[in-house]
Amino acid sequence: MSKVNDIAGQVLRDMFSAATTWLEKSSADIDALNVFPVPDGDTGTNMMLTMRSTMEEAYRAPDNSASGVAHAMAKGALMGARGNSGVILSQVWRGLAQGLDGKESFNTRDMAEAFQKSAEVAYNGVSNPVEGTMLTVMKDVAKEAQTQVEQGEEDIIVMLDAIVTAAGDSVAKTPRLLKVLKDAGVVDAGGQGIYTIMEGALRFLKGETELMRLRKPQIIVSDVPLTVPLPQVAGVDEVPFGYCTEFLIKGEKMEPDEIKRRLEKKGESLIVVGDDSAVRVHIHTLDPGNIIQFGSKLGTLHQVSIRNMDEQHHDFLEMQKERMPATDTAVVAIASGDGLVDVFGSLGAAAVVPGGQTMNPSTKDILQVVQSVPSENVIILPNNKNIILTAEQVQELTEKKIKVVPTKTIPQGVVALLAFDYEADFKTNAEIMEKALSSVKTIEVTKSVRATRINGLHIKRRQPIGLLDDELIAAGDTDLDVISKILNKLNVKQAEVVTIYYGVDVTAEEAENINASIIEQYPNLQVELIKGNQPHYSYILSIE
Amino acid sequence: MTVKIVTDTLSDITGDLVAQLGVTVVPLYVRFGEEVYRDRVDISSEDFYRRLVNEPKLPSTTQPTPNDFSEVFNKLAKETDEILVIVVSSKLSGTYQSAMQAREYVEGKCHIVIVDSMSVAMGQGLIVAAAVNAVKKGASLEKVADMARKASNRSHLIAYFDTLKYLAKGGRIGRAKEFLGAMLSVKQILTVRDGEMAPLTRVRSMRAGLDYLTGVVASYKGRIEGLAVEHTTNPGDADILVERISDIYPKERILRSVISPVVGTYSGPNAMAVTILEAENK
Repeated sequence: MSKVNDIAGQVLRDMFSAATTWLEKSSADIDALNVFPVPDGDTGTNMMLTMRSTMEEAYRAPDNSASGVAHAMAKGALMGARGNSGVILSQVWRGLAQGLDGKESFNTRDMAEAFQKSAEVAYNGVSNPVEGTMLTVMKDVAKEAQTQVEQGEEDIIVMLDAIVTAAGDSVAKTPRLLKVLKDAGVVDAGGQGIYTIMEGALRFLKGETELMRLRKPQIIVSDVPLTVPLPQVAGVDEVPFGYCTEFLIKGEKMEPDEIKRRLEKKGESLIVVGDDSAVRVHIHTLDPGNIIQFGSKLGTLHQVSIRNMDEQHHDFLEMQKERMPATDTAVVAIASGDGLVDVFGSLGAAAVVPGGQTMNPSTKDILQVVQSVPSENVIILPNNKNIILTAEQVQELTEKKIKVVPTKTIPQGVVALLAFDYEADFKTNAEIMEKALSSVKTIEVTKSVRATRINGLHIKRRQPIGLLDDELIAAGDTDLDVISKILNKLNVKQAEVVTIYYGVDVTAEEAENINASIIEQYPNLQVELIKGNQPHYSYILSIE
Repeated sequence: MTVKIVTDTLSDITGDLVAQLGVTVVPLYVRFGEEVYRDRVDISSEDFYRRLVNEPKLPSTTQPTPNDFSEVFNKLAKETDEILVIVVSSKLSGTYQSAMQAREYVEGKCHIVIVDSMSVAMGQGLIVAAAVNAVKKGASLEKVADMARKASNRSHLIAYFDTLKYLAKGGRIGRAKEFLGAMLSVKQILTVRDGEMAPLTRVRSMRAGLDYLTGVVASYKGRIEGLAVEHTTNPGDADILVERISDIYPKERILRSVISPVVGTYSGPNAMAVTILEAENK
């Protein structure tokens, strides 16, 4: 490949024009990364539109000097800056123009200085600079350029190549610096944009314009595993994470894309970056030996690192626990059936203790979960009258402050949790939640375990029976029969929402039939059907 | 020379209110796919909500460019040498950033102060209205800016979102995140806290939502300096709310507006918001 020691305005224009086209190809992918500062999914589009405006102006530059083109780019960027990322990007070009001011053409030394200016101006342009964003990536770009100059590099292609690798590494690290990225499992979108622009410029200088037409820029993969905070259910086993494996291969005629393809199925979070002579590999795998062996056949290995991520993850969880700003009040609910567990989780319960009718948890079971949640104040929703007392025992055994909202049924637990006020204190919340209980009626349908006579009802063994707020008041031939009898006794006209949770022994079709029949009978009600998967009760109905 | 006041369309100061208050409003941008519109300049609220409901992909929104602001500043600089800019919370939009950038491109020696309202919609709009009043009473730029900066603590916006669908799709959830993926259809009550949308509580129906909003207004009775009621697609529901609170605060002083498309992208149809500007402690 020929060396490029000197670039004038015309090439400056062409290389970033090619970079704009390159960026355009991945703008939708970059949009998808966008979570910071505002997750509105438009960073890629905004940067692309900003670059278009930048380059349109560049072609109107009064002369072909590097200085003239750079100043025109800075002007175009400012005029067309879209979004936060666009504004910062415009500052990058503004810095570049300052760095190249008065220069007919530039060499590696000039370019390093100009990038340094870009980073400075971009930082200064933001009132509250945050690391782990495109600012960090730009800073790392400038730093690498400086390193190259110090090493005496005179070929701009070689220098830009090193810059692209450094930008890629920098992008991969953004989730370490910015928690929202880590939580979302993505790299910074703006940083990715900077990387893509640099990469596009490099590929143009390398003469890969034909290749650029066929390929698409790669999105750097976060080097931090995605961890989504989910409500915990006691006793769920964790999936092993394996080993974070990283190394650099130096060799000849290597094909990063091919290497990537070969490694794709070997693990998670794969990153393969580099060129035909040096390839950096990062992968999360259960079998690092296999990966290392594969790499060693391609060339010499450098900077080999294998870390046990189960340990890392454990440390991470511990760290999170410490760092988690103990939400003032946590709610712990008791429920069984994965559908009901999800309902409580989705409404913000910190944890769900398995249990319910005929399977009451022990005080110790509840205590364990109470201790595990990151709050000093815990509200417990027993959701069953036989568990209320057990829940109240927990206070004796813990330093934490406990309030038990005496919910006797699942629907009562749900309305209590819904009423949770994020601005209210612990005591007030317990009061608000308890007050909400009166706004709901509960119907539970199950089968009689024996023949009996109660509340004036003759009940046969295995016959469907129905409870209204824990009192047995109906028996019937079918579940629907029982539900209809109870609904008839209620003043349903005042209600607005009926929620049907169907049990583990009920088919979706049976549940749909009951749903349809209630809608037909009470057309003004809003009826919702939810697969609760609870044992014991074929149906639990909430009438609000 | 009197202080000129500039805000952005997220303040929901649009239509007649603009002339009434005598402020300059810089539009944000709304984008459906490749089509870009200036908020309520090129696209009406009605058109926006119609498309929001019918199009598969959510629109996106973008802050004004620095250039949009600098043009306004340069124009106003011919009439005054003091401009106060009150923009939407910097945690919700990059508008603040654009305005700050634009200040560097203003010729002459016009003094421009930019205030982050730390709020949105009428939570921001009522601060703008209060600033207009202060200027009318002859307050200096520094005094008004100081008042506006502190006003976010007494500007209380309480919103009712009829569905979480749009909030979830848009990803702009801030602290409201914990409610995503709710399996039940719940209606969200939100507020603005520290410049971000934050959850307050949830209800299961519009009726319960109206009860909640009425209750909030009642709790400020006797301490209300300004009050605004807004809706997205449902003026009828907003009318009901206005009737219900009219014995707490005089109906004719209640500002009515439509929630901006930008917030509307997340609230979806049938949303409502009430904003109370609490009187200053004397």
